[in-house]
Amino acid sequence: MPLLVFLLKRLGWMLLTLWVVYTVSFFLMRSVPGGPFDSEKQIPEPIRRNIEARYRFDRPLIEQYGRHLWDTLHLDFGPSYKLEDYTVNEILAEGFPVSASLGIFALTFALTLGMTAGVVSAVRRQSVFDFSFMALATLGVAVPNFVLASLSVVLFVFVLGWLPAAGWGSLQQIVLPALCLAAPFAGYIARLTRTGMLEVLNQDYIRTAYAKGLSQRRVVLRHALRGAVLPVVSYLGPATAGILTGSLVLERIFFLPGMGSHFIEAALQRDYTLAMGTVLVYTLLLFTMNTLVDLAYCIVDPRVRLEQQA
Amino acid sequence: MKAPPMAEPLLSVENLQVQFRTDDGLVEAVRDVSFQLAAGQTLGIVGESGSGKSVTNLAVMGLVPQPPGRIVGGQVRYRGRDLLRLSQRELSRIRGNRIAMIFQDPMTALNPFLTVAEQMTEVTERHLGHSYRQALARSVELLERVGIPAAAERIHDYPHQFSGGMRQRVMIAMALLCQPEILIADEPTTALDVTIQAQILELLKQLQREEGTAIILISHDLGVVASLCQSVLVMYGGKVVERAESETLFANPRHPYTLGLLRSIPRWDGRSEQRLMAIPGQPPNLARLPSGCSFHPRCPYVLERCRRECPPLEPSGHGGDKACFVDVDTVHDTVPTREVSP
Repeated sequence: MPLLVFLLKRLGWMLLTLWVVYTVSFFLMRSVPGGPFDSEKQIPEPIRRNIEARYRFDRPLIEQYGRHLWDTLHLDFGPSYKLEDYTVNEILAEGFPVSASLGIFALTFALTLGMTAGVVSAVRRQSVFDFSFMALATLGVAVPNFVLASLSVVLFVFVLGWLPAAGWGSLQQIVLPALCLAAPFAGYIARLTRTGMLEVLNQDYIRTAYAKGLSQRRVVLRHALRGAVLPVVSYLGPATAGILTGSLVLERIFFLPGMGSHFIEAALQRDYTLAMGTVLVYTLLLFTMNTLVDLAYCIVDPRVRLEQQA
Repeated sequence: MKAPPMAEPLLSVENLQVQFRTDDGLVEAVRDVSFQLAAGQTLGIVGESGSGKSVTNLAVMGLVPQPPGRIVGGQVRYRGRDLLRLSQRELSRIRGNRIAMIFQDPMTALNPFLTVAEQMTEVTERHLGHSYRQALARSVELLERVGIPAAAERIHDYPHQFSGGMRQRVMIAMALLCQPEILIADEPTTALDVTIQAQILELLKQLQREEGTAIILISHDLGVVASLCQSVLVMYGGKVVERAESETLFANPRHPYTLGLLRSIPRWDGRSEQRLMAIPGQPPNLARLPSGCSFHPRCPYVLERCRRECPPLEPSGHGGDKACFVDVDTVHDTVPTREVSP
């Protein structure tokens, strides 16, 4: 029952957020000079008026807003202004699975690599593992992903020949971009996990666990890990936002047919409908992820109640 | 009065020495501590914070954090084996099984992320090879023994859903799951309300009567020790300064520090006309212990000899041992200790 209330509340907030984001983006886009049909070549005046009438650009702005909002509410984002013969829905349906898989792979890599490195570093403090993992983590956070992407393409594709350079469709093609996307987050998560683990290992209840005669493995994995990953759980929200924006860059470098390129192109070319569509999808993703993070928080820490989270 | 003849000791700590490396330098937390514990006996260890009483018992359990801690010397003999020479693996079969420990603060000593059931069942699963079902039944049984109402349901709650006194009961139940021969209780009542303290002490007493578990009770509270323990060890600056049966010690303290401790307890029985006394000075800095007897800067009966030589622990002639050159009877009432200003 608290779960249902929580989810309903969250749904309400999400709709409100989407509406605010929609409105702000709409008017921001329209306030930028230029329009979708201001191409280099001159279009005769009557044709231009025809086009504008077709896309309702001749109507007052507020009417355009109202009509487009109405269509959006019916999950119809309208036609793309630049990619003729495509509706925004079609473009999103094509790009979303690509971007989503990339993001999920990256998040999984970041979590598994980061948490493993963090736990090992904390348990074997001051060891070779600790120093090398933490050096790697710092590198991961510091090196920009496009540099990392270029370097890893040289290494894994041209020198070692283990992975393909670009393209989409197979598991091998997703590994490299997902790893490059994950690197800074894995590094940060490793540091968070290490710090959290060191703090938890000093707690009284860890001493109790050892006093009960449990093995170190069991103490670390069962008694310490949960408390140690709480900071990581909180970080998952911002990490998701970072992965969404990071994927724009990596989709370009690795020629992935995701949403990222559309997002940038649409904004630059004043493809209003497509830009609105991508903005809303990204907002929806981020909001869903934050809700999942809050739910995860309650699962990890029994002292946190859903009512407080809402 | 002579102490009753001791059986073969269950646990015997001999010349234990523990050091800690700190920013202030090397701290000698435990200096040459020896004591014996017979089966079913209750031993109290009394001292100020920093006297080495907790570290001594952490060493028995193999729980001294190393580094910064280091066990420099001594033996901890349990059933013919030196616990200090065992690997962590061998030691972990004894910990929580034959020797169990309960800690001062039940708020922090239980894991907030796991239910009481999860924390209790793993003990007998580990040591007695119980299935989850058996372990759960055993845990509920123990929770009922220590007086947790509706134990079968409450066992699935998290520690934060229990009150402080109830949590300490849970800790005690958890420690007794495998019927240990020795229970080490490190300030088990210090973090609790006074009324709850009395209940927990009563519970320990009752369990001791019924199970015959030997108990080492660590406390800075002489009253707590007096109510529960047959014999008492008084520690100061990492050393044992007095050792006696509890009646002897409380009736006839032989070390000036013990005397000071006893005089600093408020008495309400009206028998005593004495004002409340405090021991002057501060507990010693273990990184820079005074020369000779480490109590000498605070001792009202200090002799020239005390500044140079460290008195050994020797029979006091009154049925116990003391580490002091002075016979307190001869100087007892001639030197006033400082009164507590109201």
